[in-house]
Amino acid sequence: MADVHAIHPAGKEFNPWPAVIFIVLVCLALLFLAPTAGVLLSSIKTTREIALGDLWSIPDRLYLGNFTEVLQNPAVHRYLLNTLMVAIPATSVSLALGVLAGYVFAKLPFCGSEALFLVIIAGMFFPPQVILIPLYRLFNAVGLIDTLWPVIFVHIAMGLPICTLLMRNFFATVPNALREAAILEGANEWQVLTRVALPLSLPALAVLATLQFTWIWNDFLWPLIFTQSDEKRTIMLGLVNLKGQYSVAWGVQGALSLIASLPTLIVFLFFQRYFIKGMTMGAVKG
Amino acid sequence: MARLTIENITKSFGSVQVINGVNLDIAHREFVVFVGPSGCGKSTMLRMIAGLETVSGGQIRIGDRDVTNVAPSKREIAMVFQSYALFPHLTVAENIGFGLRLAKVSREEIDRRVADVAKTLQLEMLLERKPRQLSGGQRQRVAIGRSIIRNPKVFLFDEPLSNLDAALRVQMRLEIARLHQRLDATMVYVTHDQTEAMTLADRIVVFNAGRIEQVGTPIELYEKPANTFVAGFIGAPSMNFIEANIDTSRGAPAAAFGPAMLPIEAARLPEGPIRLGVRPEHISIASDGEADFSGTVEIVEKLGAESLVYVQTGFTPEPVTMRAPPHLQVSPGDSLPLILDRARIHRFSADGAAF
Amino acid sequence: MERETGVWRLVFLALPLGVFTLLVIWPLASSFYYSFTNWNGFSSEYDYVGFENFAKLWTDKLFFNAAVNTVIWMVAAILLPTLLGLVLALLIDSRIPGGSVFKSIFYFPICLSAVVVGQIWIWIYQPDWGLLNTAVNAAVGSDLSFAWLAKPGTALGSVIVAWSWQQTGLSMVIYLAGLTSISEDLLEVCEIEGASIWQRIRIVVIPLLTPATVVVVALSVINSLKGFEILYIMTGGGPFNSSDTLAMHMYNESFKKYLMGYGSAISVVLFLVALTIIGIYFRELKKVDEIYG
Repeated sequence: MADVHAIHPAGKEFNPWPAVIFIVLVCLALLFLAPTAGVLLSSIKTTREIALGDLWSIPDRLYLGNFTEVLQNPAVHRYLLNTLMVAIPATSVSLALGVLAGYVFAKLPFCGSEALFLVIIAGMFFPPQVILIPLYRLFNAVGLIDTLWPVIFVHIAMGLPICTLLMRNFFATVPNALREAAILEGANEWQVLTRVALPLSLPALAVLATLQFTWIWNDFLWPLIFTQSDEKRTIMLGLVNLKGQYSVAWGVQGALSLIASLPTLIVFLFFQRYFIKGMTMGAVKG
Repeated sequence: MARLTIENITKSFGSVQVINGVNLDIAHREFVVFVGPSGCGKSTMLRMIAGLETVSGGQIRIGDRDVTNVAPSKREIAMVFQSYALFPHLTVAENIGFGLRLAKVSREEIDRRVADVAKTLQLEMLLERKPRQLSGGQRQRVAIGRSIIRNPKVFLFDEPLSNLDAALRVQMRLEIARLHQRLDATMVYVTHDQTEAMTLADRIVVFNAGRIEQVGTPIELYEKPANTFVAGFIGAPSMNFIEANIDTSRGAPAAAFGPAMLPIEAARLPEGPIRLGVRPEHISIASDGEADFSGTVEIVEKLGAESLVYVQTGFTPEPVTMRAPPHLQVSPGDSLPLILDRARIHRFSADGAAF
Repeated sequence: MERETGVWRLVFLALPLGVFTLLVIWPLASSFYYSFTNWNGFSSEYDYVGFENFAKLWTDKLFFNAAVNTVIWMVAAILLPTLLGLVLALLIDSRIPGGSVFKSIFYFPICLSAVVVGQIWIWIYQPDWGLLNTAVNAAVGSDLSFAWLAKPGTALGSVIVAWSWQQTGLSMVIYLAGLTSISEDLLEVCEIEGASIWQRIRIVVIPLLTPATVVVVALSVINSLKGFEILYIMTGGGPFNSSDTLAMHMYNESFKKYLMGYGSAISVVLFLVALTIIGIYFRELKKVDEIYG
């Protein structure tokens, strides 16, 4: 990494900067962790304790009642299952479509493909509110409101720009010579894609999968619009709903927030570098 | 006075020692070239002089000042990088005047000095351009301009010509030589190209694996290499090495190789096998009866001004290289009688040292 | 051979383009269409009303209120995370121990949902036992029970802070990537020429981070335009519309008041704003690309 605050290489004089920087960072880190500490604390205290003003203190005992209540609630099971049923298909399909489209834009360009690519990319930049209403009407017309299908479809469509962008950028780095060599050996495009390009693109796919999964899992706008009954709620929507129902069940809310965030947290912890790569790769290439 | 003294310098990166005790005295206004293969430590040595690397042991003095622990900006040095290191977002003028701006010199003064330097390097028309609009040679001149403007005592060059194409390299070499004549400064120049070393240097320092193999003028290194490493490194095409044994069976000692017996004289002859070194320009075609040995021509390279002939000898693992006049009629497969110039044969003991 | 490639192109692009056209392009066009009607969202009868909806925008106080709030929101959502992210990136880049731990701490909120972030910060702003009031009271011995999210003057600002907490990590990560792309040589030149730390940051590092800044600002603008969810969770646009943004206003008009036609008109405005911003972004990106290559 570039040495912006280089500890002076030649001078052996005492340099106070590293210590100062470290202390500042520690303070900022503690500030940043405070909100999360709040959730953690709330999940292991009773609602009564919290309501009495006692959230921000170290508990002398761990109250696990909130967790049991949440984990035993069949509604919560349903929410989690629904979210999974949306996230996994939507992630896989949007990835697949992104691979297909990205491959064409990278390796099989044609007259106007640049413009078409830009149009698709531009789709990343629009606030989804802009197409909220027509989509509602469309799915209403085919009777899919209050099912999970619209949510899946819309996430696939909305994920297409970023998936196409990243896969196209990645495929562009695969040497054309590889494709040409395969074609000379008699492969058709599908075989080139599946046997040559795809195996090489696993890191890029990992990046996309983490980004997409996180985004879809965390979303609550589309479920809010397209589902109505409790049966069909996803976990984030369930969290919102819970707030409405038990307006003062702080402890349960905290536990549920943690449970709801667990999958994306785990994904984040294990695939952190893919997250970072994804943000910088797609973003920097515009 | 810009004498540069390097005393017992050692450098380690962790447990790896890359510089193993270097001592060097560079005089004021001297142009010294550090030369050597990749990884030999020449760049590291240069960067320690600059202050960009810490010194593990030893001392560096500029003038009479001990600068071993002094910040680079306070050592009165300037450095020209291989990559030019120009700021892409600044104009040529701003790049050249960068150091002055940092030192908070007045605007008029900066402009005046930048104009001066630009004139010297023929950059006046380019002052408002950005680096991306310049050619490689122009960029290098801007980098040089930036280093001149603060009147440093010592100029450091880190392989500045490596990124240029061959023709440009020759041109820039001349510019740097002219620069040295014009300025009153000591110059330390790092390169892996022995031609640059030979043409630019007052003295050459040959580095190998973190130590100095030999220090001397170009001619000294050419005519009296201290060991096989220097002998093989300096001079292109490189010296031919022939393994030989000392034969004392006929009274006076002689070096025996192949069919040849060359009388050999030395204050102290080493034990065991020796190596003879002879440069391609010191082998010629023998007239009848005079030949030291014969060989079979393998390949002839015609360069116009001369030809290089590669001759299989049978007693050397590689063919021997010979410089020949341009119109020599010789083809692969021909048998060639060869004679070595007695006065120009170099002798090395088995450990590589000259004797 | 060329014809065969053409067939494969069609096959590969069919599904992606089909999905995209059906679910993005066509709805976009429809939005434009509906903005000229008075559709209420569920009946199958509606009238064409020309520019009536757009005319209504001009006289709609709520619309202007939402527009102003959107601008405030966007400006703050750009400045706060960008600056803080830059500072964090510079601090972490200086190779102090534990750099990757710090990076994770600042960056992990990005993997949380807006719902969770909103919830967390609602607890922080809670009048009686929220962290903010508790901490302030502990520090200066006061007896605050200020309702940050319930007062018109502080509601929007409070949400902005919550938003920044989540987004700062993103800007930090992009700046960190940008910092690694600054060539070591240039920083060594700074050392040789005698630049102080501030001079180095001001004259060299920040200008050379311009490509990263362009990305960060663009992302901030885009994300903030989309920043509907967190407002919905934390304030719902209130109190008294003090945190109402265009996206929120559009949602309320369409799904609460059933004025889908009018809501579409608002979304057309949103669309045009986004389009302008994208245009500017691509143009700046080109310029920056040329300079920094």
